Amino acid sequence: MKKVSCVLFLLLVGIVSAKEKKIDFSRDIQPLLSENCFHCHGPDNKNREANLRLDDEHAAKAVYKKKKGLIGIVPGHPEKSTIIERMFTDDEDDVMPPLDSNRTLTQEQKELIKEWIKQGAEWGTHWAFERAERPEIKSLAGTGNPIDDIVLEKLKEQKLTFSQEASKTTLLRRVSLDLTGVPPTVEELDHFINDKSPKAYEKAVDRLLASKRFGQKLGWDWLDAARYSDTDGFQGDPTRTMWVWRDWVVDSLNKNMPFDQFTVWQLAGDLLPNATKEQKMATAFNRNNMHNGEGGRIPEETRVESVLDRVETASTVWMGLTMGCCRCHDHKYDPLSHKEYFQMYDFFNQMSETGGHGGGKKAPVLDYATKDEQSNFDKHNGKYLEESKKLEKFEKDNQEVIATYSKAVQDFLKKPVKKRPNWEIKRYIKDIKEVNKAHHDLTASHLKLLEAKSNAWKKMTKVMVMDTVKKPRQTKILEKGLYNKPIGDVVSAKTPAILGPIKKINVEPGKDRPYNRLDMAHNFVSRDNPLTARVTVNRYWQTLFGRGIVKSVDDFGVQSDKPSNQKLIDWLAVEFMESGWDIKGLFKKIVTSKTYKQDSRITPDHALKDPENKYLSRGPRFRMPSYMLRDQALYVSGLMNEEMGGPSIKPYQPKGIWAEATFGKIKYKQDTGKALYRRSMYVFWRRIVGPTMFFDNSARQICDVKMHLTNTPLHALVTLNETTYVEAARVLAEKVMKAHLDDAERLNYVYRTVTSRSIAKDEMNILMNRLKTLKQQFSKDQSGAARFVNVGEFKRDAALDVVEHASWTVVCQLLLNLDETLNKE
Amino acid sequence: MTPFIDHQQIMTRRSLFGKAAMGLGGLALGSMFKNEAMALPPDPHAPILPHYAPKAKRVIYLFQNGAPSHVDLFDHKPMLKKWHGKQIPDSVAKGKRFSTMSKADTPRPVLSEISNFKQHGKSGAWVSDFMPRTAEIADDLCFVKSLHTESVNHAPAITYLLTGGEMAGRPSMGSWLSYGLGSESENIPSFVVMTSRDKEASCGQIFYDYYWGSGFLPTKYQGVKFRGNGDPVLYISNPDGLPRDVRRGMLDDLARLNEKKLQEVGDPEISTRISQYEMAYRMQSSVPELTDFSDEPQHILDMYGPDVKRQGSYAYNCLMARRLIEKGSRFVQLMHAGWDQHNNLNHQLKIQCNDTDAASAALVKDLKQRGLLEDTLVIWGGEFGRTPFLQGKIEDTKRWGRDHHPYTFTKWMAGGGVKPGISYGQSDEFGFNAVKDKVHVHDFQATIMHLLGIDHEKFTFRHQGRQFRLTDVHGHVVKDILA
Repeated sequence: MKKVSCVLFLLLVGIVSAKEKKIDFSRDIQPLLSENCFHCHGPDNKNREANLRLDDEHAAKAVYKKKKGLIGIVPGHPEKSTIIERMFTDDEDDVMPPLDSNRTLTQEQKELIKEWIKQGAEWGTHWAFERAERPEIKSLAGTGNPIDDIVLEKLKEQKLTFSQEASKTTLLRRVSLDLTGVPPTVEELDHFINDKSPKAYEKAVDRLLASKRFGQKLGWDWLDAARYSDTDGFQGDPTRTMWVWRDWVVDSLNKNMPFDQFTVWQLAGDLLPNATKEQKMATAFNRNNMHNGEGGRIPEETRVESVLDRVETASTVWMGLTMGCCRCHDHKYDPLSHKEYFQMYDFFNQMSETGGHGGGKKAPVLDYATKDEQSNFDKHNGKYLEESKKLEKFEKDNQEVIATYSKAVQDFLKKPVKKRPNWEIKRYIKDIKEVNKAHHDLTASHLKLLEAKSNAWKKMTKVMVMDTVKKPRQTKILEKGLYNKPIGDVVSAKTPAILGPIKKINVEPGKDRPYNRLDMAHNFVSRDNPLTARVTVNRYWQTLFGRGIVKSVDDFGVQSDKPSNQKLIDWLAVEFMESGWDIKGLFKKIVTSKTYKQDSRITPDHALKDPENKYLSRGPRFRMPSYMLRDQALYVSGLMNEEMGGPSIKPYQPKGIWAEATFGKIKYKQDTGKALYRRSMYVFWRRIVGPTMFFDNSARQICDVKMHLTNTPLHALVTLNETTYVEAARVLAEKVMKAHLDDAERLNYVYRTVTSRSIAKDEMNILMNRLKTLKQQFSKDQSGAARFVNVGEFKRDAALDVVEHASWTVVCQLLLNLDETLNKE
Repeated sequence: MTPFIDHQQIMTRRSLFGKAAMGLGGLALGSMFKNEAMALPPDPHAPILPHYAPKAKRVIYLFQNGAPSHVDLFDHKPMLKKWHGKQIPDSVAKGKRFSTMSKADTPRPVLSEISNFKQHGKSGAWVSDFMPRTAEIADDLCFVKSLHTESVNHAPAITYLLTGGEMAGRPSMGSWLSYGLGSESENIPSFVVMTSRDKEASCGQIFYDYYWGSGFLPTKYQGVKFRGNGDPVLYISNPDGLPRDVRRGMLDDLARLNEKKLQEVGDPEISTRISQYEMAYRMQSSVPELTDFSDEPQHILDMYGPDVKRQGSYAYNCLMARRLIEKGSRFVQLMHAGWDQHNNLNHQLKIQCNDTDAASAALVKDLKQRGLLEDTLVIWGGEFGRTPFLQGKIEDTKRWGRDHHPYTFTKWMAGGGVKPGISYGQSDEFGFNAVKDKVHVHDFQATIMHLLGIDHEKFTFRHQGRQFRLTDVHGHVVKDILA
């Protein structure tokens, strides 16, 4: 009973305030209509019931049944509005939403709609589809940072306050992890703690933003969004060399390339006037999709699927819209039509890619071969060409021999020598052998050199990029996106109407042309575009706070989660755009805010009023993604190899993972030496079976912008048992043992290295006792201890006592698995 | 979010917090979780399940990747013999879409059944001679002979059967069930996947991880892959040279220090983390126990066939499936590749059956004798059927095959509230189209959910602004096969 009355109370508060306050369509009514009505009475005109449309003001307020003169919504007159009649009826057959629809409106929600109609049924647009404007800011926080003013206003509404500022240690750790992906060193901590100037924190932030690690840290999320991988996916899963683009991403972020430029280059760098090689290469973003080049597959089907993927990726990343819904029909909730989907499709359709086998280098490609790769290829190609000439000459001179072959072989030999694929040569070479040895020998060596040449070609670095077909492709709407089901008229490229008007960029007078990707990219980053900036700052916010201001980071449509603080996202978006899309500037504003610097402790008041930290009454606290955990372990142990860029590396991986997934066809060849210790960002990503230690990541198969932070035993097994983690622990142990002689000093040192803070007394006691026990345990099995301290490749200092080293390794493992270490708090 | 749910959440969080704040210090940490329910609970946001009393508590899906030929194994069609070599009539095949391997202008001669059929058991079910052990349990099985699907290619069709959509990205059936029903086990994962293939590796379909992916559900509900070699679960073994008691001691201190942190910062995730580390530790012993078959009597091992002890074989996986569900797994998905007989039907089908027949049947018998079949649903079948017409040349008898065929195919089900000893649905006389009591993939999924006590229309998850469900917006429960 108590529970019920409590609920009633909450509901009543809603109603009372609704009656007092003017009901806001976008905030209060649209979500109800959208959730409960739009499925049958929304934008999708093919499946609209009873000709009643409620997502559009004009239609909703007009007669929808002429004979009876029915009107869905009559402003000021709920009693004349059929939606009210149908919502409140007791008739099971008539009631809306229908009983079997799995949708329900509560009594209170119905009253709210009724009240809104009574108040005049004033319409509005979905907030995220309106141009972002600077919100009105009340100076409340006194920090000079509008973020704090806006957050505090919301906190006050919720009867919450800011938490106190986090300790200097926690703060430096938090901001170092956020901006560079690794924790501060003991020296950096000391420096910061001893710097008593009011600018100490700002200086630290500037230092971190200037670090080369910034681009790597921020780059990871972009790789997830771009579905970056080192292979094509699907059967055979051929390797690609798109890492050149990955390096460009890191570099551009480090140079603080403005986000609008970052956008234009990646979507349409090839269309810029006198495009440079770098600008063209940036378009590799669009080519990071999976590519199905299996035999037996219809190439056009693959091509179409790639185009669909590009549309949907761009839509998620820049528009934050679930465009995928419109692949098959008009959107059920958002003002996006099936046609608009294929207008977007047309932008990406005008590219020369075909769908067949591409071996990771499907044209169009840019040549990024290294000198060695090039000369290796030239060498093999030269030999191949020479040998081909010999074969050509032989066949020309020996027509009478050829005449004796079977018809199939003769047909095959009609193909010019250089156009014979290796599989076909293999098929007929036996037949040739039976007839003429000389011809066979020449064919065999030709085949050998052909294969050597194509192997050399396969090893060359090529980057798949965008271009424009000479003869434009015709785009028609495809039923359900199926390549062989075109329907309706030809559609031409255009961005969806809700993004505002699209303009043609750099059109020479008198030379009109259709809209192209460059126009689309500019439309995305136009000041009037309501979505791109909001969607982007929201992703950054998620990276820092573990939760977007709009929780559904991939959906800003009518059905999305309401922003927890709309003023905040709007201010950030406008600020971002008006600062010239300054990414580092935006990060600086956020991380220097009081909001960001709060302590992350959860008080009972927080747990009651703001369990999810929606309103930002405390600092963020969440487990770091697995790629960061690996980096952290490598970094604190001193193992990390900070070399930047280049091809991906293959660290430790349990035996047989690739072989099992590919029926033994592809085997993992682990790297050795320093390559093992490079940042997670450079780990080779096989699309059909991703790196096993990244237990919580996007599979990099399709665009993914969400965080996947879960908490399962399998994660614990990785950080406890995976070779890199064990090796990091034992190398860290070695470092600790060498730094100090005294166990207590060692414990304090390792605690600071790993968690950034000093060890507490009770912790010291626990670990001193543990060390004692460990030494006893390992003394009993010294050979086990010796194996344990040799896990991984790194050569240990043989002078260290094995038992002691093993004991310290366990302590280091323990510290690397502390909740505090796994979390960014 | 509605105020009511907000309120409920606050209450849950609060009670969690309260409990955490009371502290657990002073307990013997090594055993502190022994009596606590550590099983993976259903997601608090999931709809309350089951909707009604379930007949089945768990599922073992013996997925036959590549698509077994229904007309050579269970769907006996004497017409095929009569029409052998003659073009399949337009009355059944006209306008149908096939894979690119069977182009519109390729001849489509009917291919006679390549095995012999007999009727078995009281039910008189027709079963091919290639499946003698399955034939023995015919009276325990319900053959559904009128399944049909949408896709003609493997990956989309498998994805469709397991996730309700053809494209990667939706949660698979096992994830849905883990999400909604949680796990019964403290020590082993709720949703386990094992894969195997024919020894000849006659066809190379890859097991894509989205066949057991959690899609838009939280990733903890994705299937845990038990591997076919090395450690069955990745990273389950301690590092070389690290004894288990050392690990235990370390975890005790880890829990102690994390507990201290929990009291300081009040983040309920910490208490989850403490318990996840404990479960990881328990898995380190429960998983090796699972894979240690030394407690199985010889006659049981014999029943599963000679491959039973070879890790990664189908027989091994079948026995593991039984051991897993005994320990509380909710959904065990076995995937066995090698049925894609485009040009090797004559010899490979028999080999394939030899490799799997005994183990599939043994699993059903074994469950039955333990009283587990009653509430365990076993499903056998692939992603579609195979063409009643020949792929290849009729004179090239060594390379006979059949192409992909979505228009009718057969699966069998056993236990878990399904009527035993019946055949349901019919295809036409060529085994080409389902004609009577047709069962669409979504109907099949709806039926599985129903057996587990779930109304498939009500079990939804909100994603990207709409309610998603396993059966998309389709599906009817096949009531006639319910016991």
